Amino acid sequence: ITHDSSLSALLCEACLCSGVWWVIFAAAAPLEPHITDCISRDQATFQCWWSPGNFHNLSSPGALRLFYIKKDSPASEWKECPEYVHSNQECFFDNAHTSIWIPYCMQLRSQNNITYYNEEDCFTVENIVRPDPPVSLNWTLLNISPSGLNYDVMVNWEAPPSADVGAGWMRIEYEIQYKAINTTKWEALEMQPQTQQTIFGLHIGKEYEVHIRCRMQAFTKFGEFSDSIFIQVTEVPINEYTFPLTLVLVFGIVGILLLGMLIVISQQHRLMMILLPPVPAPKIKGIDPELLKKGKLDELNLILSGGGMGGLPTYATNFYQDEPCVEFIEVAVEDADTGEKEDNQGSDTQKLLDLSQPVSQHMNIGFSNVVSFPDDDSGRASCYDPDLPDQDTLLLMATLLPGQPEVGKRAMAAERGARPLVHTQTEGPQTWVNTDFYAQVSNVMPTGGVVLSPGQQLRIQESTSGAEEETQKKEKEHTGGEDSEEDKEKELQFQLLVVDCEGGRYAAEGNAWQIGGPHSAPMPGEGYQTIFPQPAETTPAATAEGSQSPYILPDSPQSQFFARVADYTVVQEVDSQHSLLLNPPPRQSPPPCLPQHPLKALPAMPVGYITPDLLGNLSP
Amino acid sequence: MPGNIRSVSFAWMVLVYLLFCSRRASVGAAPICANAQAGCHVLSLANLFDRVIQHSARTHSISNDLHSEFEQYFLPSKNHIGRVSRNCHTSSILTPNGKDNAQRMAREELTEVILKLLVAWRDPLWHFHQNMAHHHDFNNFSSNKALEMSDMVHELRKGVEKVAEKMQVLGIISNTVSSLASPEASLPSDSAEWRLMKDYNLLSCFRRDSNKVQNYLKILKCRIVPEHGC
Repeated sequence: ITHDSSLSALLCEACLCSGVWWVIFAAAAPLEPHITDCISRDQATFQCWWSPGNFHNLSSPGALRLFYIKKDSPASEWKECPEYVHSNQECFFDNAHTSIWIPYCMQLRSQNNITYYNEEDCFTVENIVRPDPPVSLNWTLLNISPSGLNYDVMVNWEAPPSADVGAGWMRIEYEIQYKAINTTKWEALEMQPQTQQTIFGLHIGKEYEVHIRCRMQAFTKFGEFSDSIFIQVTEVPINEYTFPLTLVLVFGIVGILLLGMLIVISQQHRLMMILLPPVPAPKIKGIDPELLKKGKLDELNLILSGGGMGGLPTYATNFYQDEPCVEFIEVAVEDADTGEKEDNQGSDTQKLLDLSQPVSQHMNIGFSNVVSFPDDDSGRASCYDPDLPDQDTLLLMATLLPGQPEVGKRAMAAERGARPLVHTQTEGPQTWVNTDFYAQVSNVMPTGGVVLSPGQQLRIQESTSGAEEETQKKEKEHTGGEDSEEDKEKELQFQLLVVDCEGGRYAAEGNAWQIGGPHSAPMPGEGYQTIFPQPAETTPAATAEGSQSPYILPDSPQSQFFARVADYTVVQEVDSQHSLLLNPPPRQSPPPCLPQHPLKALPAMPVGYITPDLLGNLSP
Repeated sequence: MPGNIRSVSFAWMVLVYLLFCSRRASVGAAPICANAQAGCHVLSLANLFDRVIQHSARTHSISNDLHSEFEQYFLPSKNHIGRVSRNCHTSSILTPNGKDNAQRMAREELTEVILKLLVAWRDPLWHFHQNMAHHHDFNNFSSNKALEMSDMVHELRKGVEKVAEKMQVLGIISNTVSSLASPEASLPSDSAEWRLMKDYNLLSCFRRDSNKVQNYLKILKCRIVPEHGC
């Protein structure tokens, strides 16, 4: 036998022995008659019950007698039960026999004076008080939680009628217990002396059981439980309506919001147009808006000044189109009879010019006719003022009109552009060097000069000397241009040569309309005349560019004679200096008014523009 | 204008003074006195009774707790009432033993009985507390309770004395309450008996007597001023 096994055997033996002893005790010890319990309900009376135990022969009524002793004085004795209730084996002590705060002891005696006494059966009445259960237990619904799942209940009752609470003899506190029906564990609420209490957190739909008991304050023994009451609250039907209603509202609002957002997103552009209309960007016609951005100012300037390939050609043409200056030139056909210069009849210009009439009139008329505008208002404001031909206008007219004696006089003046006015009244009809009356402006120079086409004859000569000098000089119209340097002296100084066919009088007075300006080198060999604006002249600002006193006579005082040139010639070729080389006109009847200007003074150069009339004169 | 300002400030100060004075009168900072003396805040008799009854209930509750603890820790046997209760030192004081007896007793006698009981327990409780503090068998909780119990009995006695005064003033009882003077002399010569009692006996006896006091006060109140709570 090992040590462990011996120990366990010993333990087992002890257990068995104790159990056996207990069983033996239980079996062996007879159960004596004893006091079962003593209870007071109102602290004024009390009852005691006994039991005969195993002594069944003493169970008959009267076999056992109960004796008690009140230990309120040392000389107290045992007394018998004042009131027996044999049916219950109970002894009732009424008010007279009940004293509080005084110890009582109970004793059982049988018929043959056997006493069954236990010291533990002594008590004081206040310690055995077990109040009756409260009465009139009921409940009321306090409220239901917002979720509709819980509710609160107020339970109220009344004190047991046996307990004299009114006199203050008993102070009672109550305890409520509740549970759901299908559960087993009771929930106890806190003890309190009031006759009502609230139960919180009950569930809707569940049935609850509630009962109550009470005890004396500061004592330990409870009375019995009251009868249970049942609490049940079913679902409130109104919840069914409110909850779906709120749900519908919420979903409706969400749906409307979504719809609004969809509309806004789909019609975004339109809305943006309505709310925020686009601001037009800066734009200039014909110019790329890219150039208007920062940093491209130079290009912009270039374009605006017309040098680039930009849109300014349209600009220029627009400008010209807007300008009615050159659009209308009203020409009045004069009477051929009135023309004094029968020699000039061959020229259209002569026809146009009515030299028989007083010059002034002619001039005026001519002028007015030439460069006058119809009397409507087209272009009047911007170009010429036909009512008052100003200086520049007169200048222009003078240059355009060949052979005007007054004009030639003006031209003879050495000063440059000193007197632009043309006096036309004094002179009579004079022979004009036939110059073409019409000039086609081919281009406008950047400096403002008008470039005329070869169809023009300009007899602008600076004539400082008299007509004789002019006759000596040969006017060469350098159409070729290659020998321009050689003929510099004989270069074509366009002078307005006024030839008087009868007297050969020259009226070359006038201001010197110099072509090319005094400071600028005379343009040699130009088939056409470049007219530069007279720098010293004051030009009225109202007139257009081409109308300024533009005609500048060449520098050289050498008057040269312009041979009569044809109205139209054929451009032979263009020289290196962009001069047009024209075909010499056929030699027709030389103009009689021509001074002895040896044609041989014209070297191999073609004469240029020679009208048939002049040709006749040319022949010596 | 300065005259206006002065008058306004004076009115303002008067108002503030009145407010403070009235508030002080209502809060009850003035001492409670049974007699309607000047400057005292007078409590009604019912109010006094309620306070005293609450006090006695608390005293009894504490004694009950201490008694239960004692039984639990030191004397685990079931019932000792039969053995213990005969040795209480206050047994010589005649007390009504039932509701009927208490209700039949004169108010003055009842008041006297209450006061006797309270006086009798002042010293024993004090010594009991000292014993508990020195004996480390008890925990601090029990020691504190014993101290509280001793203090409460002392205050309870004062309260009951005041109630008796008020009742005498009101003419409810006659001026024959003699327990107010020399409470110590009322004890019997074998007052040293209580020193021989064991702590458990002392607690049992006091528990009984505190219950008596409580009941007597309640009965007295419901007989004299049965307004509410009865």
